[in-house]
Amino acid sequence: MSVLQISEVTKTFSGGTHAVNSFSLDVADGELVCLLGPSGSGKSTLLRMVGGFEQPTSGRITIDGEDVTHLPPERRPTGMVFQSHALWTHMNVFKNLAFGLKLRRMPASEIREKVEAVLELVGLAGYGDRMTTQLSGGQQQRVALARSLVLEPKILLLDEPFASLDQHLRERLREEVRDIQQRLGITTLFVTHGQDEALSMADRIVVMANGKTEQIGRPDVVYRDPKTPFVAGFIGTMNLVEGEVSNGQFTRSGFAFPLPIADGPATLAIRPESLDLTASDASKAKVHRVTDYGSHGLVDLDLADGTRLKSMVAHPDLFQAGQGVDPKPRAVAAYRNNQQIFRS
Amino acid sequence: MSEFVERAAPPLAETAASRRPFGLLLVAIPVFLVIWLVIWPAINAISRTIWRVDADGNTGFDLSSYAFFFSDRYSLDNLAVTLWTTMVCAVLLLVICLPIALYLRFSQGRLPAYVQALAILPMFVPSIILAFAFIRVLGPNGMIDILLNAVGLPKIRTPYLTPWGPVIGLVWDNIPLTVLILLSGLGSVANQFIEAARDVGANAFRVFWHIILPRISNSILVALSFSVLGIFSSFTLPYLLGPASPEMLGPFMQRTLRDLQDPIGAMTQAVVAFGFCILFGLFYVRSVARNRGK
Ligand SMILES: Nc1ncnc2c1ncn2[C@@H]1O[C@H](COP(=O)(O)OP(=O)(O)OP(=O)(O)O)[C@@H](O)[C@H]1O
Ligand SMILES: [Mg+2]
Repeated sequence: MSVLQISEVTKTFSGGTHAVNSFSLDVADGELVCLLGPSGSGKSTLLRMVGGFEQPTSGRITIDGEDVTHLPPERRPTGMVFQSHALWTHMNVFKNLAFGLKLRRMPASEIREKVEAVLELVGLAGYGDRMTTQLSGGQQQRVALARSLVLEPKILLLDEPFASLDQHLRERLREEVRDIQQRLGITTLFVTHGQDEALSMADRIVVMANGKTEQIGRPDVVYRDPKTPFVAGFIGTMNLVEGEVSNGQFTRSGFAFPLPIADGPATLAIRPESLDLTASDASKAKVHRVTDYGSHGLVDLDLADGTRLKSMVAHPDLFQAGQGVDPKPRAVAAYRNNQQIFRS
Repeated sequence: MSEFVERAAPPLAETAASRRPFGLLLVAIPVFLVIWLVIWPAINAISRTIWRVDADGNTGFDLSSYAFFFSDRYSLDNLAVTLWTTMVCAVLLLVICLPIALYLRFSQGRLPAYVQALAILPMFVPSIILAFAFIRVLGPNGMIDILLNAVGLPKIRTPYLTPWGPVIGLVWDNIPLTVLILLSGLGSVANQFIEAARDVGANAFRVFWHIILPRISNSILVALSFSVLGIFSSFTLPYLLGPASPEMLGPFMQRTLRDLQDPIGAMTQAVVAFGFCILFGLFYVRSVARNRGK
């Protein structure tokens, strides 16, 4: 039973960079939370503060109610998996895994048992005698995971552990990690800037920008109902159209959509799968390119002023470049002053 | 697959063959220099100390100069003090330079830059100047004495002209190179290695012992071999700062040759020194090879 609480944590580096800005998050027991955000948004800094590798400028971090804000990493019940695995190359796999247990003065027979069990868990049974340099990238990352797991940490921290692996391996490891995490019921904080990674494994995701939370929620909710234009643009593919609302009508260069909100500027967010196209004259929009993915197609179209939109269509062969189309959104969200003010 | 290799191989061999004379030429120059300036004089010295003209004018095999060296109390004392100085310097260098290098590697900010400049400074100070600075500061009636005197304390027993004189000078002289080599070794210890170790519960000492030390053991070996070889055959500092008796092999050779006019004796001492340096060299090569194998 382990709960992580991050309250009002701020980190300002000596150069004046506000890497993390008054950030709060509660992670429930056994939950896997993904920190998602563009490069430089403060994900690693936040994770490193939980692990004890950076000191927060202000704020509090507690694990199971115990304040760990000022404890050094070696005295925190956290286990961290680094991006570049950081295995000790002068030790073999067994010694890498046994090191932490030896520091805890565990008897040798028990160490052997535990190491073998955890190697089994990550699918590397029998690899104990290998030098770490004789492993593939995926195997190294598994050993790194095992090295953290063998100590049975209360909180598991992973900082883009698969970033250096190829797409295929990344997907497989992602599933394995999710599997292991659920089997052990270990509370986990996972940093990634791959949204598919976050959407596929997380119980909840935290979208970060500039050291702040943009939105916290279940992956499907964040995907369906992004609360800020940043999240809308960051998660999945989204058409963001800036325009003007007057008399309940949103307009942008020939493209109009009824929007029952007060007059003023607004940003309209439309998913490609919610944008229908019908053939028409070229006064509203023109097809720029059609891509056929087999199962579906993607049409790039330009509004009269050149604004590019994407539409997902079931029958791409119905459209061709240069053709006039009339884009009709089925569902939209509208934002003003960085906040959602309308959703259909 | 084998077809591919067979077809690919000939052009490769051709280019290698056409480059060979040039490569050999590049290697030939240093090899020639080493033979001319090192190996030939060494062989020459060795042969002249073992093939000697006896009283009747006959040339014959004769180890008497070595027998003398290894039975003469004075020569043996000199050898002993040379080995002692080398050992003590090596230990002191490690004890002093490792903390400096660790500090430079793991601290941030302005201060380390100054410390580094200070640690490297001795490299740019010629030994002669170093020796005289030493005498002015630590010598009899030097700065320390004057300062102690000013506050009414007794004089120190100066290390000048004791075996500790050369030790202090040589250590100071060798700090820059040792620090630089250790620092480059520490550069290969990634921060993540250390953070991963702390993450699994290692405190600073254990991180040093289990993670850092194994990774820089080769650098330590390199640094120590460099300084040990230099110190063993050093001349200026022991000559200027050391006692007249026993003296280190460097000044001993010089005195045997110039003052005692005994070239065979001096050469014998040189061969003995050379032998010890080869021993250090072999030890170094063996340790590095063993570390590689691990
Ligand atoms: N040690 C440091 N000193 C000064 N600034 C730092 C330091 N570490 C990070 N920063 C700054 O803090 C900000 C957040 O960095 P952080 O590494 O947390 O981003 P991130 O979200 O992990 O990015 P990425 O996805 O590229 O890993 C960046 O602007 C970065 O330049
Ligand atoms: Mg990062």
